[in-house]
Order: sequence, then C-alpha cells, then structure tokens
Amino acid sequence: MAETKETSEKDEKPKPRVRPIVRLGIFLISHSVLVSVVCCTAGVLALFLLPVLAKNTYISENALMPGSASPMLSYQHVSDGNRLVKDLTNLDLKSSETGIESQRVIAQYMLELGAEVSFHKFHAQLNQFHPLHFFSSPDSGVIQENFSCSSYGINTVGIIRAPRGDGKEAIVLVTPYNALKSGLGEAVSVGIAYSVFSLLTQVTWLAKDVIWLVADSRYGEYAAVAAWLRDYQIPKFSSLSTLNSEMCPDINNLYDLKVNSIAGSKYSNSFRRAGTMAAALVLKVGDQSEQYEDTISIYAEASNGQMPNLDLINVVNYLAVHRQGLRVQVEKLWSLLNSSWLKSLGEIFESLGKVAKSLNPEWKFGIPATEYVEGTATLASSLYYQALGVPTGPHGAFRDYQVDAITLEISPKYSLDKFRRNDILLRGGRLIEGVIRSVNNLLEKFHQSFFLYLLTSPSKFVSVGVYMIALALLIAPLPMVAASLYVDANSLDSKTNKSTPSTIADTAERGITIRSWRWLYSAKLVFAVHVWGAIVSLLPYFICQIPDCSSTISFMIWVVLSMISLLTLYSVLASPFSCNNASQEKEWALVKSVTISYVFIGLGLMSVINFATAEIGALLMVPMCLLARPLKFDLRAGSLRSFSRMVCNLVLGLIAFPPAAFFLLKGMLEDFGSVNIGDFWMWVESLWAWNSATYIFIGMVYLPCWVLCVHILLHTC
Amino acid sequence: MQKMGKQKNKTASFSFWNWVIASIIFRLILIYFPKNLNLASRPEVSTPLTSFRRLAEGYWLKQLSMSPYAGFSFCFFFFSLCPTFFNFFFILIRQKKEMYLIFLVFGYSGSMYHGSPLLLSLLGPLTVKRIEGQPNHLLYSLVSVIADVVSAILIRATGKNLRLAYLRSLESLDIVQQTKASEILSPGDAAALIYLWNPFTIVACVGLSTSPIENMAVILCLYGACSRLVPLAAFGWVIATHLSLYPAILIIPVIFLLGCGPDAPPRKLFLQKNNKEEVLSKSKLRLGFSWRPITHFAFWALLWSAYVLVLCGISLKQFGGLWEMFKSTYGFILTVEDLSPNIGVLWYFFAEVFDFFRNFFLIVFHVNILFMIMPLAIRLHHRPCFLAFVYIAIFSMLKSYPSVGDSALYLGLLGWFVNELADIQFSFFLFCGYVGVSLLSPVMHTLWIWRGTGNANFYFATAMVYACLQIILVVEGVSAMLNHDRKLRNLATSKPQDAKS
Repeated sequence: MAETKETSEKDEKPKPRVRPIVRLGIFLISHSVLVSVVCCTAGVLALFLLPVLAKNTYISENALMPGSASPMLSYQHVSDGNRLVKDLTNLDLKSSETGIESQRVIAQYMLELGAEVSFHKFHAQLNQFHPLHFFSSPDSGVIQENFSCSSYGINTVGIIRAPRGDGKEAIVLVTPYNALKSGLGEAVSVGIAYSVFSLLTQVTWLAKDVIWLVADSRYGEYAAVAAWLRDYQIPKFSSLSTLNSEMCPDINNLYDLKVNSIAGSKYSNSFRRAGTMAAALVLKVGDQSEQYEDTISIYAEASNGQMPNLDLINVVNYLAVHRQGLRVQVEKLWSLLNSSWLKSLGEIFESLGKVAKSLNPEWKFGIPATEYVEGTATLASSLYYQALGVPTGPHGAFRDYQVDAITLEISPKYSLDKFRRNDILLRGGRLIEGVIRSVNNLLEKFHQSFFLYLLTSPSKFVSVGVYMIALALLIAPLPMVAASLYVDANSLDSKTNKSTPSTIADTAERGITIRSWRWLYSAKLVFAVHVWGAIVSLLPYFICQIPDCSSTISFMIWVVLSMISLLTLYSVLASPFSCNNASQEKEWALVKSVTISYVFIGLGLMSVINFATAEIGALLMVPMCLLARPLKFDLRAGSLRSFSRMVCNLVLGLIAFPPAAFFLLKGMLEDFGSVNIGDFWMWVESLWAWNSATYIFIGMVYLPCWVLCVHILLHTC
Repeated sequence: MQKMGKQKNKTASFSFWNWVIASIIFRLILIYFPKNLNLASRPEVSTPLTSFRRLAEGYWLKQLSMSPYAGFSFCFFFFSLCPTFFNFFFILIRQKKEMYLIFLVFGYSGSMYHGSPLLLSLLGPLTVKRIEGQPNHLLYSLVSVIADVVSAILIRATGKNLRLAYLRSLESLDIVQQTKASEILSPGDAAALIYLWNPFTIVACVGLSTSPIENMAVILCLYGACSRLVPLAAFGWVIATHLSLYPAILIIPVIFLLGCGPDAPPRKLFLQKNNKEEVLSKSKLRLGFSWRPITHFAFWALLWSAYVLVLCGISLKQFGGLWEMFKSTYGFILTVEDLSPNIGVLWYFFAEVFDFFRNFFLIVFHVNILFMIMPLAIRLHHRPCFLAFVYIAIFSMLKSYPSVGDSALYLGLLGWFVNELADIQFSFFLFCGYVGVSLLSPVMHTLWIWRGTGNANFYFATAMVYACLQIILVVEGVSAMLNHDRKLRNLATSKPQDAKS
C-alpha cells in the first residue's frame, strides 16, 4: 500500500520511461473511484463470508493429549465435594458474621487435604479514570490512599505442591464465591473445585503446582481476582503491605486466631506463591439453563480484545463434548438469530456452495443456512465483545499477565437438587480434572495455536490471516484515494497558475516552492482537530471529579465543553466559513487527502491493537471519508448522482456521530423507548474504567475524523 | 521596503521567542508526569549508551569506589527479585525458539554504564539530588531542557549564517532577484523551531536520555565551524566524538567549512561567471581552499582531546585507566555487545548471525558507513553543512544503538535547507511515514513484550520501515539539493541571454 502511494507521488513528474509497478500505481490511482467501490464492497462481502470460511478447530499442541487418560475422579471425591456444599449452604442459612465463617470452613477443608492455605486481603479499587494508564505496562497499581477497614475482601488461597514438579509452574483454578450473598450455584462451583482439589492431592502425575483461589466476589469477581494477581505478580517491597495490616488490627487478629485454632500446620499468614502460571480456569455454576442439555458456556474475551490461546478452548471443548457429554456454547447475539435477511443471505451462500460442489466435488464451500446464521450471530458477538475491550469475566485479569485463562459456566439441565448435584459435580469435576491434566502435560507455555482469532462456534474459528483480509480490503482504497486527491490538488493548482498570463516565471517558481509543502496547512488543521480529540478524551477525567453529578448532566457538561473547545480551536485556526484566497479553492481536497491518510494510519494502528474495533470503525469511517465532498458543489451540480451523494453524506454524517451511532445501535438491539441520554456517558465510563483502547480510538481517531468530514462537507469555497 | 522587512523580521523573532518559551513550558509540564509516561524505560528513547538508569548506576558504582564500567548487572538482579519479570524470563526460556531473544531483552552483558566518565562527573550528582516535593530527577531534566534550548539557539545562529552566506553567493552570481521569490522562511528560525518542537526531541529530553547533550556537542561543532570559531569547533568535535564516537566523521564537513566557507552553489559556477565577467573582485568571495584554519583546527583538536583524555584518566585512575574506558565505550559501540531491541536494525541481525561470522559482519556494517563518506564528500563538497546533515542522517540510521534523539538532530538540521529543499519529493509520504512508524513501533513493542501475542519480527518490521524512511529522506534530500544546484546553474547561465533578449 505504501508502495502504491509512493508510486502515486512519483507521477507528479511524468517521466518518459515508467517502470511497470509505477504504471500499475498510476493506473490504480487514476481509477481510484472504481477501485474504492470495488474494494469496499469486497471488504464488506468478505466480512459476511467469514462464517463460511471458518475452519474447524484442532488441537495444535501435541503435548496436551486431552482425554488420553481416563478420569480418576471418583464418587468418593464427589461426596467430599457435596459435604462442603452442604456445609456452606447450612452456614448461609445461619447467616454468619461478614462471611468470614464460610471462608474459614473452606480453609479448613483445604487444610484437611494437606494443602497450603493462606488468606489474601485486598481492597476494592475504585474505578478511576487514569488517562495515562492506557500507555503504561501492567503496573503495581499503587493508588491505595484512603481505604477504610470496612471495604476489604478476603480471598482464600490453597496450594498443592506438585510431587513431580520443581515448583516453577502452576495451574490456577478460580471459583468466585460471595460469602454474603451466595446462591446454590456458587456453592456447587466451590464443591466441584474441592472435589478436583481433593483428587489432585492424591495423584502422582502432577508436575505443576495447583492453586485454588476462592475469590471473594462481594466487590465483583474481577476485582478480587485482579487484586490477587497483582499481589502475586508484583510484590510490594515497600511498607504498604505491613501498613495495611496495621490499619485494621482487630479484624486481622480475630481472623488469624480462628484459623490458627483449626489446624495451624500449613496455614501461613503471609502471601503464598507458586510458580509461573501456565493456565487459569475460572469455574462458575449458573442457574438452570433454557437448553435441553447440561451446557457449559465459555467466556474468553479479555481486555482490549485479547484472547487466550485457542488450544485452551479446544481442550475444554474436546473434553466437554467428547468425554463428558456436555453441550458447549459461546456467546451469541440472540437478536441476529431471527433476522430474515441473514437467513436469506445464508441461503444464497448455501446455494452457491451447492453450485460450486456440482462443478467440482472437491470444493467444500458453503454451509447450511441455519449454521450460517448461528455462525454469524456468534461472530457478531465475538466481534462486539472484542471491540468493546471489556473483559467478559474474571479471566480477563489473567491475560494482562500473559496467562491464558477462560471462564467456564456450567448450566445444569435441572435444578441443583441432591441427586442432580452429584451428577454435575462428577461431570464438572472430571472436565476440570481432564483440562488440568492436559495443561499439566505442557512442556512449554501455550504458544502453538492462535492468539488472534474470532470464534464462530465453539469448534470453529476464523484466524487472523483470514479476517485481516476483510479489513485490508476495506481500508485499501484509503491511501489510493489520498494519493489521487493529493496529485489532483497539486496538478490543478499548477494549471491554474499557468493559466494566469502575468509573471509566468515568477509564479511558476513560487508554485514549485510552495507546492511540495502545501499540504502542511491541511496537516495543521488535521493536527489541531486531533489535539481537540485528545482534549475531549481527557475531559471526563475532570468531569468525573465533580461530586454528585448524574450521568445525564455529566454527559451534557462533556458535550458543552467539547463544543466550546472546538469553537475556540476553530476560531484560532481556519474555519470552513472563511475563505480568503482563491488559490485555496482546492483546499478541501488536500484536507481530505490528509484526513484520509491519518484515518489510514489510525485504522492500521488499531487493527494491530484490537482488530474488532478497527473493523467496526472502518465500516463507518471508510465510506464517510471516501464520500465526503463539499455540499456546495453537489448542490451546484444538481444532477441525480451528486444529489444522491449529498444525501449519503448527510445520512452518514448523522449516523456516524458517536453518540448518535450508540443510541441507534442501542435502540435497534433493545428498544427505542428505553434509551436515555445518560446511557452514553455510562457506556463511555465503563470503557475507560476498563482501560479499553476503544476509548482512545473513539476520542483520538474516530471523532476527529468525523469532525474533519463535517468540515469538508461544510466547506464553502 | 527595507523598513517593512525589518518589521517583519521583528515580529518573526518575537513569535520565535514565544515559541521557544512555549516549548520550555511544554517540556516542564511533561517532566511533571515522569512516572505515568515512563519514557525513560522506552527502548526508543534510552539506549545502552544514553540511558539515564545506567548513568545513575555508573555514578552509584563510582561512589562506592568501584569502576563504573565493571559492575555486574544489578539490574538483572533486581529483575530476578521481581516475579513478573522473573516469570516472563522463565516463560521465554520455555519457548526454545525464542531462546535468543531472551538475551535480547535482558542482555546486559557485564557492565551497565557505557558512557563517558566526564558525563558521570558532571551529570552523576544530579541523578541523586532531589528537591522535596518536586519530581525525582528535576535537576537532571532541567539540564536536558537547557541543552535543548542552547542547541536550538545555536542552530538558529548557524542558520542565519548559512542564509547570509547563501545570499552573498547569489549576489555574486547576480541571481538574487530570481530566487528571492522562492524564499518563504528564515531557515534559522525554521530549523530551531523544528528542533525544539520535534516530538522526538521532546521525548528524548523528557525521557532523561543523554542524547540532548550529545546533540548539543554536534551542533556546537557545526556552529563553531560555520562562524569560524576554530577552538569552539574543535571543542565540539572532540566532545561529540568522545561522547558517541560516530560524530568523528563530521571532521570532513568541518574541514570543508573551515577551508572554503559555508554552503554555496558549486564552485564551477563562479569560475564560469568569473571567466565571463572579469570585473568580479576576488575579495568578494573566497574560492580557494585555505589551509590555515585547518591547521588551527588540528592543533585545537589535539589540544582538546589531550585535555579530555587527561581528565578521563584522572577520573578513572583507580579503575583501570583509559584502556578500560576505551574498551567499554568505543569497544561496546563497535562490537554491538548489547542486543536489546532498539529502533535500529543491527540488534536483530546480530542476534541471528552465527558467532563465527560475527566479526566479519561487524566490519561490513561499520565499513558501510565509511564507504559512503568519500562519494558524498566529493559530490557535496561545496555544501559542507548539508554534507554534515547527510552524514548525521546516515550514521544515526546505521549506528549500533540508535535512538529517537539522533533522528531529532538530523530532522532539526533539515530545517536549515528549507529553501533549497522546497521541492523535495514525497514530503507528504515521508511525513505520514514518520508519524505512522513512531506510533506503530511502541505498539508492536507492547505486543511483543507485554501481550505476548506478537514476536520480535513485529517490532523489527517497524525498525526496517523506519530505516527505509530514513533512506528515502536522505536520497530525496540529496537529489532535491542537486536539483536546486542545477536550477541555480540554469538561472546563472541563462541570465545574460535573457538580458540580451
């Protein structure tokens, strides 16, 4: 692409002998309209073809060997687990003081198994906007300033040391448990983990330590896991940890005494560690499922669209389907399942596939229409959650430390009564055991399979090499159009200069001098708008420090402040309404060219950071950028073509405004009646609270691009 | 007319100082967020030679009366204490393929500090001095800011010199009128502002690297040579060479500058002119090559280098003396011992190359720079400052530990030639390329090191693109300059005919 652009600029000076690649570049640029239409259509089409092109997953790492050993989890372990579940539910009925009691029970069970037990106290971190956190590496998060003793949680951590290991690696099992308000599901998940844990204390094949973290989820599952991980990975050498315990002495004392009185042997007061984490599983048991089978849902999206290694999902999927007879599912956009246009599209692809097959039976193209619709719904949700950049569960915390992790949520067919509970404990336990055994076999870190993929079903995926084509096609016209506009603007300028008869030599001289750097003025404007974008994205930092501010009012303040800053910047720099120089007639073309170049850079960058955001952004931005043209010209021309372009421009300009796009999507997915102005603020707040790069993208690439396009539309000369 | 010109100059200079003050304020604002920005640990900013942390380490070792060059890697010791890094290290070991690259990331071979002992004595105390309530390294940052501003002022003065010389030579060719139309900017102001406001300069300054000081030495040398202050030029050259070795090749442009004056159109042109119009007095323009300032320069350079060596010798008396210094500064530069990733291309290459070819390729890569010296010197000898710019661009591309501070220097010097390079090709493409690469490179680094979804090739790809951009810049710059010379020649030779007709 860079090459075509480079070549494009070469044709500024027509040379007698042109190299083929240059000729190709010139050809592409001179037909940039056609090329961009073809490329954009192909890009959108390729996106819709992705479910058809999805491949079946396969286990890429041979060392995993899932399911090659028969499960060892017996009814004895299950009944142990059941005992713990009963104890926990009984405790709930008694409603113990601040949930410490249940932690104590779990710790006691762990100690009886001979595991090392420790408690981890943490403070719930407030969601604060730290604009610079986007750029920094995972840090120690030393923002603890004024915590009261009331807002802390306690994680219970049990560690089994591997008989065959050297203590350098570990596998983590997480069960979120809210002691204050636990349902039966949470207790059962702890029970499953316990039954696996009790098995693992006895087995001889364990080569990696096993850490069982019962995360205190009273401040959210993610917060608890993230706090524990932070302390695990980044030890505090400073006095902070001691300070914490000094701050709340009575709670500590009470709490230590109780545990020490139980067994004492392997309980430790300090933070316990095992080795590097090879993988982590978060286990949850949900409520009764609507499906007709026991299902297990896999959540994999971590922050900024990062995914765990595909092999981990493959292992779980393989074991669940082929060994435990569970139905595996991943998130879908349910509203898409019933859409008729998608169904008809699927039918078209299906019939195309049949035609292809009749031509050559070797060609395995096309999938049944229903499968296509399901694949698209899954793909859409996969794209959506990756684009949002917000982790879909506590597993997201692990990915920040390069640990592959997924959340498994088991939803049983019937309610969790006595008999059914044993079945779920057995099957869930065997599944976890199998996964741990596979991961235990690993010699290296997960690296064989993909990190960059989209799922279209639990057993089908689209790899980076395929889905990048869709984006590449979509943004390929950008540099070409930029180059052609740039060349046009320059050549037109020199023509107008030559047409004026007076002082030919002088103006030609000046023309050359200025011509090559004329884009600097447009670049200045584009830069100023990007600075404005940065200001707009920083404003919430100040707005959210206003006390007692409802989301609607915050949003209003934000909009007003952004408008004011935009107007001041505009009055300082060029506004679309001031046109003093006749030579600036083609100014808009240069502005558009520079804008498009920056959009290209921005989308390219974002596609590396978070593909899904870039793809969704490109779907909106590329047509908007390519079509933008001063409305005045279209009005003057008065033909049908220019009129339709004008309408397209206006509609795109309206839809693409970020809040408008948000409300439109929300209204379409839910209901227009429930749309509230404050919702946008809440949404944005969630984005920056999770350090999503999408926020930066919207603020620094998308919004400036929209403003520049509107600037071009309103250009008067 | 003259009055108007003067007034314009006045407003221009006024806004120039405004911009300078604004840039200082901008830097100070950034200095107050050092923790959040974490620039000092970016591989783009701090190389093993310019890193602030290493400087502090060297100073600390020296305070403990150990050789600043001898320390084993304390940094690595720290990393192994810290499980994140330890884990990371371990993970990488597990991936056998990437075995090499571990040692790239943590490849601190032997000592930490590789800079000059003089910097240690001058800047070392600033690394530990703190002021209550202020950012940790405020004093040190202030020194960088001052270095930047001084460099900018020197660049401006040199630019003015260059412009005067250029106008004088145009006058002697009688083509002032034709070219006046194409003058847009005062090159001095443009260059100084480009230098001050270049994000690369700002990042290097805020990122606490020592490159602002190295750059200042180079600029001092060029300024001295341009304004014919021979001792100053010699001082700048000696210090620049002492600090980062590569500026040694600037001796060629400096000799040209001292010998035949600053940039001018090709000498042939004057000779033709002289043949045509014998009236032109020789005193107006010196065309010969005068050896006197060069012997002066040689004398001063010897004096200053002896002085610097004596100072270094004194400060390293207990620690192995000068030989130790040569081994761990120049030796370290020339043998490319540290293969931690940077924006250059050598680290990747020498990580891949087999050990028994290593010496051969070391020679190839260094001779590569030397090969380009002669042809360029012959072709561009009439424009010594531009020659210096080209040399700086080339060695900041091919040097063993490049950083953005080096690019900041040559991009700033590019401003001297705004009028000559006005019709450079691909200006927009180059600009977009620089913006794109400087944004993409940190992202690729994060993808490789922190997320683990990328690998070393991702980062190296951006380094290659960056090198290509620099090559295009140099090639296009040189060709634009030659075109400009051609244009001047056309103007000068066609003028009499015009007058006749």
